Amino acid sequence: MSHVIELTDVHKTFGRKVLALRGVSMHVDQGQIFCLLGPNGAGKSTLVKILMTVIHASRLSGTMLGHPIGHKPTLRRVGYLPEHHRFPPYMTAEQALHYYGGLSHIRRPERVRRIAEKLDLVGMTAWRSHKVGTFSKGMQQRLGLAQALLADPELLLLDEPTDGVDPVGRREIRDLLHHLRREGRTILINSHILAELESICDQLAVVVKGRVAMEGTLEELTCGGLRWVVQWRGADVDSLAFEVEREGDLRTVSLPNASDEDVQAVIDAVRGAGGIVTSVQEFRESLEDLFMRALKDADDLDGAVPGAVQGKVSKAT
Amino acid sequence: MTSILAILRESWLSLRAEWLFKGVMGLNVLVIVAYASIGFDANGISLFYGLTHIESEFIYAGSPMSRTLYLGIYSAFIVNMWLAWAASILALISTSSIFPSFLSAGAVELVVSRPTRRSTIFFVKYAGGLLFVVLQVSVFTLGAFLAAGWRVDAWDPAIFLAIPIITLFYSYLFCVNVLVGVITRSTLIALLATLLFWFSSFSVRTADDIMSQFSYRLDATVERTEARVAELDEETSEAEAAGDELDAEDAAHWAVGPQAAMDRARKAQSQLAPWAAIISGVRTVLPETARTLGLLHRALERNTDTTLMDLMSGAAFDDEDEPPRKLSEEEEAQARHMEKEEEIPAWSIILKSLVFEAVILIVALIIFRRRDF
Ligand SMILES: Nc1ncnc2c1ncn2[C@@H]1O[C@H](COP(=O)(O)OP(=O)(O)OP(=O)(O)O)[C@@H](O)[C@H]1O
Ligand SMILES: [Mg+2]
Repeated sequence: MSHVIELTDVHKTFGRKVLALRGVSMHVDQGQIFCLLGPNGAGKSTLVKILMTVIHASRLSGTMLGHPIGHKPTLRRVGYLPEHHRFPPYMTAEQALHYYGGLSHIRRPERVRRIAEKLDLVGMTAWRSHKVGTFSKGMQQRLGLAQALLADPELLLLDEPTDGVDPVGRREIRDLLHHLRREGRTILINSHILAELESICDQLAVVVKGRVAMEGTLEELTCGGLRWVVQWRGADVDSLAFEVEREGDLRTVSLPNASDEDVQAVIDAVRGAGGIVTSVQEFRESLEDLFMRALKDADDLDGAVPGAVQGKVSKAT
Repeated sequence: MTSILAILRESWLSLRAEWLFKGVMGLNVLVIVAYASIGFDANGISLFYGLTHIESEFIYAGSPMSRTLYLGIYSAFIVNMWLAWAASILALISTSSIFPSFLSAGAVELVVSRPTRRSTIFFVKYAGGLLFVVLQVSVFTLGAFLAAGWRVDAWDPAIFLAIPIITLFYSYLFCVNVLVGVITRSTLIALLATLLFWFSSFSVRTADDIMSQFSYRLDATVERTEARVAELDEETSEAEAAGDELDAEDAAHWAVGPQAAMDRARKAQSQLAPWAAIISGVRTVLPETARTLGLLHRALERNTDTTLMDLMSGAAFDDEDEPPRKLSEEEEAQARHMEKEEEIPAWSIILKSLVFEAVILIVALIIFRRRDF
């Protein structure tokens, strides 16, 4: 599988003191939905902006779609939805899309066709000749998505795409992303809504304080966190090596990293003691658990405090 | 090309959305309506489309002076006061927001993340700002052209020179506006800085003009007194040769005053010189706002021998046969200054100013290209 984005050792320092990125290396595979997670100020948006030439990295080596980062013509093949974007309020939805489409070198006849198509896709056709300034946040976000999709890009970079979008819209966006992935497009998403990402995420990286604290496929990362939960009513079983939670008549035991045989043993023990097993469930670690784990693992600094690391730039590599 | 058109179209839409743009357009029309309200008939000037009337034996329909007056009003008042001052300030107010709002957080990311290069975006956006002035002045000059044609049968295409010249003049200010806008991303600061710049270059120019007129006056004084002293010296030596002691003493006595005046003027000249050099040095660096506008006057007055100035000073009414009135020293200095100004070639005025503009724009572009958003 080829890497659509390949980054090694990306550094970005704002001014002299704000170390927004401190050596990020990661890669995104073709046809994947890649989720970039991380606390506020971790540097996620900065990383995406570097890919889109909005911000210049202090140090960088890497490629996007086979070209070095910063190669302008490549951006024609990339769709970008910036965080907190604002369209010129005096433009109608259609005019705005013509503007951005033109900037992406899409010729007019082609643009006319695609604009109609994308407005329809995000459900904004009815508002195409209304001024953007009058749109609600979610409507602007939908328009932003249409803007990102306009060039039929191979790679989509979405910075908090569901920000301000209603539940129906979120679901639509999720379905849309699935659809785009089926078409073979690669998508990189920044988001804080972990529950939402869980169902669509293939690969992920957790950025903490300007460094990648955890990276891999969702499978890989969560199978370490596999656990079984057995519940039963009645008898206490003293012979179990695990901590048992009691709630009235109900007993629950959680078995982290347990094999199927381990679970059988527990069930046998419970039944042997006269308990009635009510449920046996396998749980994967949730994205939230994973996220928290990554924060905790980023040991050198307090990952939970928002914002980038502040300090002097060290010249050491 | 597609992207250039897209940016220009965006500029046009943003102008159209701006109430100031429409307001200034409305004022333009108003000024033209007022200008066209001045007319001439068989025995004088009619004002406000004939509402009032001024009798005149020189200025009447078809007289050359009516033409001088009408075109003079355009070049001296309308261009100088409306186009170069009021309309330019209004244009600055409305175009000051172009770069700051374009660079505002949330908007700029959508633009600089395109395959279009930042320098292209910058220059097209800059041109879009000048579009404001081009459109305004085009409408205005068309009105003035028609008015002058109707009223005094002038049909002078030189009136349309106002479009490039005013745009050029405006661009000297707009580049400063853009530079400050790119640095601060603040409309207000960009506007204030530009007004400050305009005011200071105006002051420098005025100081330089005063200095040069003053030095012409000193030159004239030195010349005059030198001649007088030489004359009296000769008289003295002639009288001495003739052995007329009394006359010689008299002449020598008379020479004392002019001699002292000459010495004073020479001293003043040498004191003035370094300051004049500094001021004109500063002026060299600044764009030639006033001289660029002056080019328009040159063009408009190129084939009239009497100007509005002559009309107002009464020189135009002087009898041809009478010997020309002797000019005062001050008037002479002024005339000499004007003469010198007219000798400066148009290309050097424009080129010098464009160099300034280019430098400012390059600095602004470098900042814009390097900037993180
Ligand atoms: N243009 C800028 N100038 C100076 N500092 C900046 C700039 N952009 C970002 N930063 C700093 O860089 C750090 C990372 O910011 P970034 O926006 O990348 O965070 P993020 O991970 O996207 O956070 P969030 O989840 O809140 O969107 C922050 O400390 C921020 O203050
Ligand atoms: Mg962000």
